[in-house]
Amino acid sequence: IEFLLCPSKFLNMSVGFIGAGQLAHALVKGFTAAGVIAAHRITTSSPDTDLPTVTGLRKMGVNFTTSNKETTHKSDVLFLAVKPHIIPFVLDEIGPDIEDRHLIVSCAAGVTISSIEKKLLQYRATPKVIRCMTNTPVVVREGATVYATGTHAEVEDGQLLEQLMASVGFCTEVEEDLIDAVTGLSGSGPAYAFTALDALADGGVKMGLPRRLAVRLGAQALLGAAKMLLDSEQHPGQLKDNVCSPGGATIHALHFLESGGFRSLLINAVEASCIRTRELQFLADQEKISPAAIKKTTLDKVMQQPGVSDTSVGTKSRVNLFNNISGVKKP
Amino acid sequence: VCVCMSVGFIGAGQLAHALVKGFAASGVIATHKITASSPQTNLPAATALRRMGVNLTTSNKEAVSRSDVLFLGVKPHIIPFVLDEIGPDIEERHLIVSCAAGVTISSIEKKLLQYHPAPKVIRCMSNTPVMVLEGATVYAVGTHTELEDTKLLEQLMTSVGYCTEVEEDLIDAVTGLSGSGPAYAFTAIDALADGGVKMGLPRRLAVRLGAQALLGAARMLLDSEQHPGQLKDNVASPGGATIHALHVMESGGFRSLLINAVEASCIRTRELQHLADQEKISPSAIKKTTLKKVLQQPGVTGAGVGVRTGISLFSSPSSKQKGN
Repeated sequence: IEFLLCPSKFLNMSVGFIGAGQLAHALVKGFTAAGVIAAHRITTSSPDTDLPTVTGLRKMGVNFTTSNKETTHKSDVLFLAVKPHIIPFVLDEIGPDIEDRHLIVSCAAGVTISSIEKKLLQYRATPKVIRCMTNTPVVVREGATVYATGTHAEVEDGQLLEQLMASVGFCTEVEEDLIDAVTGLSGSGPAYAFTALDALADGGVKMGLPRRLAVRLGAQALLGAAKMLLDSEQHPGQLKDNVCSPGGATIHALHFLESGGFRSLLINAVEASCIRTRELQFLADQEKISPAAIKKTTLDKVMQQPGVSDTSVGTKSRVNLFNNISGVKKP
Repeated sequence: VCVCMSVGFIGAGQLAHALVKGFAASGVIATHKITASSPQTNLPAATALRRMGVNLTTSNKEAVSRSDVLFLGVKPHIIPFVLDEIGPDIEERHLIVSCAAGVTISSIEKKLLQYHPAPKVIRCMSNTPVMVLEGATVYAVGTHTELEDTKLLEQLMTSVGYCTEVEEDLIDAVTGLSGSGPAYAFTAIDALADGGVKMGLPRRLAVRLGAQALLGAARMLLDSEQHPGQLKDNVASPGGATIHALHVMESGGFRSLLINAVEASCIRTRELQHLADQEKISPSAIKKTTLKKVLQQPGVTGAGVGVRTGISLFSSPSSKQKGN
């Protein structure tokens, strides 16, 4: 079945989310606010029904289920919105239910297209996979998203994903090898901004402003500056120069930033996040991950799902994630 | 809603350009109802203003007579000369809005009271993102300002971003935070892009993603009731990439640098205000070219320029004229 790219705003298809956490919540909130898809055409599944995000999703009119298989059946575009170490279990569970129409979109940091395709090829000859890296501001439709297409994904599949993600912010296609760097920059970026905003507000409060006003002004200043840069052809350094009048207040402030190595800290941050992403990817590719790295509660619940076979958990030995499922079951 | 009156700008530089660009984009006032004056009409900002349909003139007096709301968009040390020049032409209807950092309402009122019994003055601190309708503006009202005046200014400034009234004693701190804030952001985005490029991204994409990430985060905070720390927590999953990055930032005292910056900008603003209030400013602090052109304007009397003694800015105009 060919996907129809609808000329009007609404997409004529169903979207599913395996996982009902922060990412699913943020994307659904953005999509529904953008009007790119109706809430009743969205299904989300999670073993954990107590999450606050589950309540939020339900309130938006999304279909909620504890069955990943049900989500798969009800969707054309299927987002994998679970933690990276859960991905292989999910793929094993839903693999048999994937059909020709399905477009699998993985949002898991550090999980490669080839690892996903390798898993799905056990069940399907030409699984359509796209790897995606987005960020939480999709919730206010100001996200930053990049994606890379897999071996069997067609042009229309990329266009479809781009139509969805462009409704909630900036979206562009990249080569897969750039995605870790994007994680370090715009994936983690909002956390750098929240930290900066907290500190700027502290500065304002130190100099006499009430907290609420300080937070407001700091956020507005960052937002306005970022918008200026996005709307301008000019270099950020040029825009910075334009704000610094000779002998004025701003250039005095900038000197303090430079003296403390402000720029270097941000380069370090992007690098650290990117390196950690590659580390996690490497651990996963090695097909070994220590039990400590897998949050037991989540894994226990995954194990309880019908159709999921498991390996033992809680022993000191390592768990194979990407090999064939062993026959050992935890009592 | 269109503002049904005329707006003037004394000074046709960055500030006038940014505000006019924003006002025009928001549609709050038609550009043909805006007049801007400057001794130098060939500056890039002035040219841009003309292209937007603004009436440009070299005469400050003409800007005054054509306006109801008059923005003073000149450097702080030029303000007293401008006030002396236009003082005699101020009428009942005029609302004077000073955007000059560190220049107090009382210093402006003191000057204008020589010419008018109840000059209406508002002091304003805005920032350059007004040009993309995302400015941050605060204002404090003067002694003779009425409710309609403040409503009018708020209507204008709200069309180009966030705007709120404050007590005047907070304005220096606002200068340090949102006045200078965009410069901190441009520096941060430049550095973030460097980080992205170091890890393999093409420059254009890195700049785009960095700016978009900051913009999205700021928007999230503005739209949320949650604490920035809570929003930060939500992005930092256990053992993940983000918390690793945050650790290196904290190790380097990232937060402290930003507090320092806000403080430094605020302190410098107060310093400049103090120098002005002392009614002395060294000749080197006054850009000579600008002052020469100001002194050439008809009706402006000047004190000697280029001598080593201090120059009184806020005293009555002296009768000494620099020879031409």
